[in-house]
Amino acid sequence: MSGFLHQFSRLEIKRRHLLKSAPEGPMRDYLSQPFPSRRKRYEELRYLALDTETTGLDDLHDQILSIGYVPIDGLGIHLRDAAYHLVKPYREIPEQSVVIHGLTDDEVYSADSIESVLPKVLKALKGRVLIAHYASLDLRFLGWACRRTYRCPLLVPVIDTLDLEYRTMRHRNQYPKKGEMTLDALRVLYNLPRYRAHNALSDALAAGELFMAQASHRAGRRRLLFGDLAS
Amino acid sequence: MKVEFIEILDFLNSCPPFDALPDEERETLPPKLTVRYARRGQLIMEPGEMLDSLQIIRTGAVEIHMRDGRLLTRLEEGHIFGAQTLLRGRRIFSKVTAIEDSLIYQLPSDDFFSLFKQYYDFKVFFGPVGGDRLRRAIRKNEETGFGSVQGMNTLLADLITREPVWVSSDAPIMDAAQMMVQERVSSLLIMDDGRLTGLITDQDIRRRVVARGRAYSDPVGTVMTGKPVSIVDRRTAFDALIKMAKYNIHHLPVHRGEEVLGLVTPSDLDPYQRTSVVYLVGEIAKMSTVEELRTSSLQIPKLFLSLSESGASAHKICHTLTVVANSIAQNILKIAEETLGEPPVAYAWVATGSQARDELTVQSDQDNCLILEDEYDPDLHGDYFKRFSEFVCRALDQCGYVFCPGDSMASNSQWRQPLSVWKEYFDRWINEPDPRSIMFCGIFFDMKFIHGDERLFWKLRECVAHHASQNQIFLAYMAANALSHRPPLGIFRSFVLEHEGQHHDMLDLKKNGVIPVVDLARVNALKDGIQVVNTRSRIQASQKVGGLSTSGARDLLAALNFINNTRLRYHARLMVMGKEPDNFFPPDDLSDLERHHLKDAFSVVQTIQSALEQRYQLSRFK
Repeated sequence: MSGFLHQFSRLEIKRRHLLKSAPEGPMRDYLSQPFPSRRKRYEELRYLALDTETTGLDDLHDQILSIGYVPIDGLGIHLRDAAYHLVKPYREIPEQSVVIHGLTDDEVYSADSIESVLPKVLKALKGRVLIAHYASLDLRFLGWACRRTYRCPLLVPVIDTLDLEYRTMRHRNQYPKKGEMTLDALRVLYNLPRYRAHNALSDALAAGELFMAQASHRAGRRRLLFGDLAS
Repeated sequence: MKVEFIEILDFLNSCPPFDALPDEERETLPPKLTVRYARRGQLIMEPGEMLDSLQIIRTGAVEIHMRDGRLLTRLEEGHIFGAQTLLRGRRIFSKVTAIEDSLIYQLPSDDFFSLFKQYYDFKVFFGPVGGDRLRRAIRKNEETGFGSVQGMNTLLADLITREPVWVSSDAPIMDAAQMMVQERVSSLLIMDDGRLTGLITDQDIRRRVVARGRAYSDPVGTVMTGKPVSIVDRRTAFDALIKMAKYNIHHLPVHRGEEVLGLVTPSDLDPYQRTSVVYLVGEIAKMSTVEELRTSSLQIPKLFLSLSESGASAHKICHTLTVVANSIAQNILKIAEETLGEPPVAYAWVATGSQARDELTVQSDQDNCLILEDEYDPDLHGDYFKRFSEFVCRALDQCGYVFCPGDSMASNSQWRQPLSVWKEYFDRWINEPDPRSIMFCGIFFDMKFIHGDERLFWKLRECVAHHASQNQIFLAYMAANALSHRPPLGIFRSFVLEHEGQHHDMLDLKKNGVIPVVDLARVNALKDGIQVVNTRSRIQASQKVGGLSTSGARDLLAALNFINNTRLRYHARLMVMGKEPDNFFPPDDLSDLERHHLKDAFSVVQTIQSALEQRYQLSRFK
């Protein structure tokens, strides 16, 4: 691969392209910051570990209930800048997801709309790499919300902690069984504490800690690049 | 939306010293933290760097090394490091490495200092480590815990409220009695030329004057108790109680030098009669059969529980129980002499082991031996002393001091020998040490005279103490033996629990807690020819002669104190629940702070053990 392509990844090229058509406001502001090069050392980058809770797994019918995130840089996870947003659904929530998330109707309906939460998320995400466990699900819901709000897809460099672990296992010719790749199960592997509560914020923190552990173990004594970790 | 880190808050709730903060304060902490991860083997801090936050280990373990490579400490989940560095000016002098995959919370130094200034408990936690912290915890317990303990620690000088009431010994008995009526006292000091010469009580007048028809005009000196036992005013109320129990008396003059300050009685010392040891001993002295003694001995658990409830320290409780045991043994020996007839040759009945060290608990077995005069002839006298010893040991067993499982009792003919044989025993043990003889030394070096001819006892002791301090090889063996029981602390400062049987997952507070300290104190005492046998006294004496450093001795005393208090409190709790007390302690019963202190105590013992190991280069013995 030529130096040019290396430096400007496909994602970065897409960002430049999209910037031209993005509407004024939070989305345009978010896209104005270049994405990090895949050849940078991973310690030099900034990250945002994020998790969303939704009413279900179907991005056509289900909706985001809450978003939590914690910023990470080379020194650690800074809880001071963590955030947790409840999102007001535009449709009634099915009863079983209330049971899962422990959120009551009152809590949810007094929350902010997705349109007023998204700018905060985009601001936090600006210049950062998104970290999530099974990121494609979160991305699907966030992307859908962005298209609906800004008529523009969500473009973001991503490290998926599940994918990262999966690739390492495949590399060692291991085929993980179902249940071995959950956030809780992987955290045990890295001697991380067991978290009982599951909400968007504690799961974001859980994924962020897992990422630090995974990166730290893969780094060893060699230079570990962002490109080695990115999905 | 309020950001809440429930999991982190839960952790801080149970993590000292954060657990001692007010809830509102603690709730503000999680958002101030930075979370960091270090994989096993990763360097966390290096000398020369500047530290800007307090480090709290959430999971994993770290090692802290001095710059010269010496291991300073190992820390694990729930432990904190970096506080001393922050307090000393932030420059890091040691190297910190993760020895397990570790998740670490960092609290910025500004927030740390703000808590440090605001909250006393928080500040105290970061005081000097180990022994100091432990001592402070003990002091705090004893100071704040229980009203009556304070009473027991009161100096006698502060207890005496009235001038001594006295007459001279040539005063007529009637004058003395009138003085007692006038002053409303039940006893009177007899003084001549400003010096205490005797004591007379209501009871003495009843027994020695009225009952015997003495003339009331006789001088009181002819019916008084001469040369009464007295005590210096620097001693505590507890010391006075023990002294009264030991001599079975109820009136104890207090003096400072030559000057008599007054008199104390059990009710002055202990208005609530919670620690009725004086009365129990008085009752024991009155008993004339083994069956009666057995009935009295049933009160011992009650005495233990009331002492324990009043918050008395383990040292005081054990000392009290030993005084009771001694008086039971003395009375049994008298009954044995009455039953079997005059002994044909002189003997000294000697308690060994914990009874000798004044360290009995409620569930102690008996350890004793018999030193006979050298005139002893097995053919002529053997049968008498065999029956005598068996009588006494069985009676002790009936009174709750069960037979020694190791058979180190006078009823075993090996431990019922004339003085010359005992000297040979010790000669052989000291000059040709082997593991078996070292085990005997552990038992028989702790001796206390109970009854009979005390000179026999002292002759043996003097000769033994001198020999022992001279023989380096023997001392090295004793030192190696002292290291055979290790504190139950793993390399990560985690407790090492019993693995097998019914005591699975328990800490053996006797074998791994108290015994290592007792053994350390003994070997240090032997080395310097120290004659006292009580473990505390041994440690204090070793410190005076320089065998133990001042701080080492202080820390070791604090450790012993804490381990023993924990153990006895546990005994009391089991007894209240109607269970047999034992030494197997479930560590889950401890609060986190107590757990910290117990670990501090164990690591103090470890430190002193390794000092001993180095002195005798004991790696050769492994």
